[in-house]
Amino acid sequence: MDRYLSNKKAILIFLLPALLAYTVVLISPVLQTMYRSFFEWDGLGTAVFNGLDNYKEMFQDPLLMTSLRNGFIFSVVLVVFQIGLGTILALACADPRVKFRKMLKTAYFVPVILSVTVVCQLWIAMYDPTNGLINKLFQIMGISYQQNWLTSPTVSIVAIAFVNAWQFMGYQFSLLYAGVKSIPEQYYEAATIDGCSKWMAHRKVTLPLMKETFKFCFIIAITSGIGAFVQMLIMTNGGPGTSNYTLTFMIYRYAFLENKYGYASAISVLLVAISLVATMIINKVFDRKDG
Amino acid sequence: MQRVKSFLIQVPLWLYFIISVYPLFWMISYSLKDNNEIFVTNPFGLPTQFRYENYINAWTQFNLPQYFMNSVVVSTVATLFIVILALMFSFAIARLRWRFREAVRLYMLVGMFMPLQVIMIPLAILVKDFHLANTYGALIIPYIVIGLPFSSLIFYGFMRDIPSEIEEAACMDGASVYRLFTNIIVPVVVPAIATVVIFQFLNNWNEFMLANILISDESMKTLPLGLLFFQGQYSTDWGGMGAVMTIASLPMVIIYLFFSEQVERAMTMGSAVKG
Repeated sequence: MDRYLSNKKAILIFLLPALLAYTVVLISPVLQTMYRSFFEWDGLGTAVFNGLDNYKEMFQDPLLMTSLRNGFIFSVVLVVFQIGLGTILALACADPRVKFRKMLKTAYFVPVILSVTVVCQLWIAMYDPTNGLINKLFQIMGISYQQNWLTSPTVSIVAIAFVNAWQFMGYQFSLLYAGVKSIPEQYYEAATIDGCSKWMAHRKVTLPLMKETFKFCFIIAITSGIGAFVQMLIMTNGGPGTSNYTLTFMIYRYAFLENKYGYASAISVLLVAISLVATMIINKVFDRKDG
Repeated sequence: MQRVKSFLIQVPLWLYFIISVYPLFWMISYSLKDNNEIFVTNPFGLPTQFRYENYINAWTQFNLPQYFMNSVVVSTVATLFIVILALMFSFAIARLRWRFREAVRLYMLVGMFMPLQVIMIPLAILVKDFHLANTYGALIIPYIVIGLPFSSLIFYGFMRDIPSEIEEAACMDGASVYRLFTNIIVPVVVPAIATVVIFQFLNNWNEFMLANILISDESMKTLPLGLLFFQGQYSTDWGGMGAVMTIASLPMVIIYLFFSEQVERAMTMGSAVKG
């Protein structure tokens, strides 16, 4: 058997295509980005080693603070809307009295499969200050909160984050719903016998048992907030001014519009570092609650 | 009391139902209206008169069929290669016996946690150096590689659970390792293949960030990219814009309505692997 399954030639034939492609197209670019972050380089000419200059420049770049702040706002909107509201919806939907469950779940999931371009353009239309759905709706309801949703430097980042939150709500909802469903019914029976109300049972049983699900949902929400890009590009092109920049938008601009590849590489390295640290912190926080 | 409670539980569900679906309903209904009806006479409801000409204009005057074609080619070819390469790779690490297979598995796992933005710049240069810019290859090759880590791990999970007697039997019967792979292992993991196909096809179909950097030629644009440029052209004709967006979305929505359970399972499976 061992000889049969350790046929060297077969191992190479099965392994190499994927391994080579992965190394050349994914791992080596990652290493290159790290390496290039120490050079001044326009993507064409010779790269000049400049040590940590790119990093120094980055921390003095006023766009960095804007980008970090926007990444933070984006993450908060995703967490509150998708995980906060998503948990409430998942718990409600799991209630045996709810009818048309399949239809509800399908309706929540449809935006997930739409192209991000379609979703962004749909919301550009909805946010339109004069003809858009949102302002018109407020008008009808007699709310005077009319906004230039996408051209206001303070409101637009939240408005854009909301588009992402809306589109991928169904995805987080499915994860949370699967998490709720995976809890054995007996736990609730036991909780009821002990005199727990439904609400208490959810707090004491459901939420602790869904730790793994929550961990994953937080990782998705926060890392996609930090790396947000496409929505800004389509909806406001980073504007008004530079007020909607994120780290990825900085990379995009410096690399592809200003040909500062070395500098953009340094920003990429920072983005990876922040994403990894965020993931590690989330892991730590959720594992500690064990005790 | 019970009925009141049951009603209260359902309220948030139906409220969110409206929030989730109404924007899409609004899009489809304005795709059948003219500007006057959208802006003034009837902004919220169903169109009073169905203006199909919006659709005819959208389909004939712009490159929509071309974008569609490009998206179909890129997504299909990339998905096909992802499945083949990932199946082979996971067979090697899950069933064959050699020393570094655990290390190689972890090496592949790294790719799942790497933000794609980090390879944006080198990839753009790589594609240029290999003269792949503005070809299908410029998208297909990166999409294959990006899909590999997730797909391999799904297949690995399935393949590891196959009992080892199956190989003993294959060996006794004199089947080669290659036959073992094609005639026994691959058929056993068909459910996993379905999951991976759905997940990767959707991912490739909707990918925007890399396409935006790697493709500039109008005739090579995929749907998400091509649609971006309707924004300017159609800024005054909302009905036409709505028609374009509806045409671009309907195929996926229809497929989803048929296979909703499989699609959701495929999409949420990532959590089991990543978490």
